[in-house]
Amino acid sequence: MPSLISPAERDYILKGIECNIRADGRQRPDYREVILETGVISQTSGSARVRLAGGTDVLVSVKADIGPVLVDPETGEGADKGQIICNVECAPSASQQFEGRGADELNNELTQMMTRFLSHNTTSLTSTPSNTTPSSTTSSHNSNGAGGINLSKLCIIPGEQCWILYVDALVLDYGGNLVDAVFMGTRAAIFDTRIPKTEVQDLGDGNFDFEVLDDAEDTEIVEGREDMPICVTLNKIGARHIVDASPLEELCTEAKLVVAVNRSGELCGLQKGHDGGIEPSLLLEMIQFGKTLGQTLIKQLDAKIKAEADADMVKRQNGQPVVKLGFFAQ
Amino acid sequence: MNVSFHSPAPRTAISGSKAHKQSKQHGFEDMELDGDHEDGSNGSGVKDSTLHVVTPGEVITQDTAFMRGHGTYIENEKVVSSVAGVVDRVNKLISVRPLHTRYTGEIGDVVVGRITEVAQKRWKVDVSARQDAILMLSSINLPGGVQRRKQESDELQMRSFFMEGDLVVAEVQAFFGDGAYSLHTRSLKYGKLRNGSFITVPPALVQRCKSHFHSLACGVDVILGLNGYIWVSAHVPQNLDEIDTELVYSNKNKEDITPRDRESIARVGNCIRALADEFIFINDTIISFAYEASLQYKLKDMNKKEIMHAIATEATTAVDNMKG
Repeated sequence: MPSLISPAERDYILKGIECNIRADGRQRPDYREVILETGVISQTSGSARVRLAGGTDVLVSVKADIGPVLVDPETGEGADKGQIICNVECAPSASQQFEGRGADELNNELTQMMTRFLSHNTTSLTSTPSNTTPSSTTSSHNSNGAGGINLSKLCIIPGEQCWILYVDALVLDYGGNLVDAVFMGTRAAIFDTRIPKTEVQDLGDGNFDFEVLDDAEDTEIVEGREDMPICVTLNKIGARHIVDASPLEELCTEAKLVVAVNRSGELCGLQKGHDGGIEPSLLLEMIQFGKTLGQTLIKQLDAKIKAEADADMVKRQNGQPVVKLGFFAQ
Repeated sequence: MNVSFHSPAPRTAISGSKAHKQSKQHGFEDMELDGDHEDGSNGSGVKDSTLHVVTPGEVITQDTAFMRGHGTYIENEKVVSSVAGVVDRVNKLISVRPLHTRYTGEIGDVVVGRITEVAQKRWKVDVSARQDAILMLSSINLPGGVQRRKQESDELQMRSFFMEGDLVVAEVQAFFGDGAYSLHTRSLKYGKLRNGSFITVPPALVQRCKSHFHSLACGVDVILGLNGYIWVSAHVPQNLDEIDTELVYSNKNKEDITPRDRESIARVGNCIRALADEFIFINDTIISFAYEASLQYKLKDMNKKEIMHAIATEATTAVDNMKG
């Protein structure tokens, strides 16, 4: 069943946004509170749970697995690189509109967005199917690929075996602004990820064998994770734009712009959704605003992750158990 | 442009055995139909002064003398709970009232619903129950007077009355054979909702009281639907004799909703959400107290968890002081 809104509510929200008083009292550029916890799933290489006050609940897990390298048949590239494979799924219990196959389209859109922003080293401009403009690509000087993550470091034996990071995001509850929550969770989960060290032995004749060291204390972080992008979703309602929309505000959106930005302020991706149009001047303004807000978000998110990791380390050093609240939290 | 990141906190209940006792008595007043506990004590479970909360699979009692009611089943001669909730004992009948459940209504309940479908001579309304409720074309007031008769042309232009997505406030009139509610809006206080915003709370938190239409001192009207759907709107001074019956189905909000009104509406909305987060019963008294408690905070700060908790605590103590 699609979500519905009445004309009276739509008009109320529209006029409210015009005079900078949203339905819940926020102003246009205000974000809701974010509750973040990393390391909530012990069986993964890294995990994080992000909740936005208002209902959105996203769980992201990263599993590091060993597999064969993926070589591009045309360019021959990839023999010395690892892989990142992303998947986003919305649980049917998250919202009534996700019942049955209702979430399929959204799952696809979010998965492709994640793959694009995290796995490519080019800035691409695309719009979702409702708008048929051709996409154009421009390259950025982020030559590491994979949205900043160093894929070469993930290779174990060039041409044969590499680490594959499976990033899975599960949307547990829908309260608006899924994209931002998924990317924040992914960044936190990747920061939390620890990959075991491997020891490669040269057997001679070009044959190599490797062993995975099973030391829980001696693991590696994902290199290049600080340069991962996060997303800011801007919703154009009327002549203004807001961030962090609630479900009713999302129903009033004419055009949606997702701006992916990294900590240096570089634009890593852009996606436009919904049927409405955006004037060129407003488009530039929204992108600029998204970039600035994105950098603030990254700074605060990184600070929070670091604070949590430091606190955990202190506890471990003192011999105290590190207790994650997980799903017992409020 | 500020974003704040927090760590999760374990859930803390609002203090006060007083709050618990009050909510207990209120809750059980509905359930006990024979109400023959003269000393005002409730009939809850085996423990007297505390709520007996159970989870699915938990054994309630091993005594075979009890009959089992809703939310329980018998396994190995023991009465086991099948839902997460509070044990309700009425003489020999044990049942469990679940915490989170769909709205189950009685005849005469005032509910707020959203039109989901326009069918032949009726509308399907979502009231957060197990099935969509039905609003028959013959159960609404047609524009042009309360007594206007239904004509064929009305059936052909049903969307000019209610369209998909519209919010209505109605009363439960009857049940259909399959358990779906039949609603009616045959009073001038019922009908299409305008000039405000919509909030959802768990249905269990809205208690039955004399009136569900409240006009708060701050110039905000609140309609507390028993199904957990709440409408907070700007106060429209309405003399029931002078209502223009042609405009009851208009979609236009009133022109002069000032920013001040919007702030009050947002503030009341946030208060209701703060109370719902702490699972406190919602009625007009506690909303007024919560509103007063919230005036010391800035409107946009009201979305923060600690401030919501503070407001809810202050409102509960104010209500307790008023009663006790």
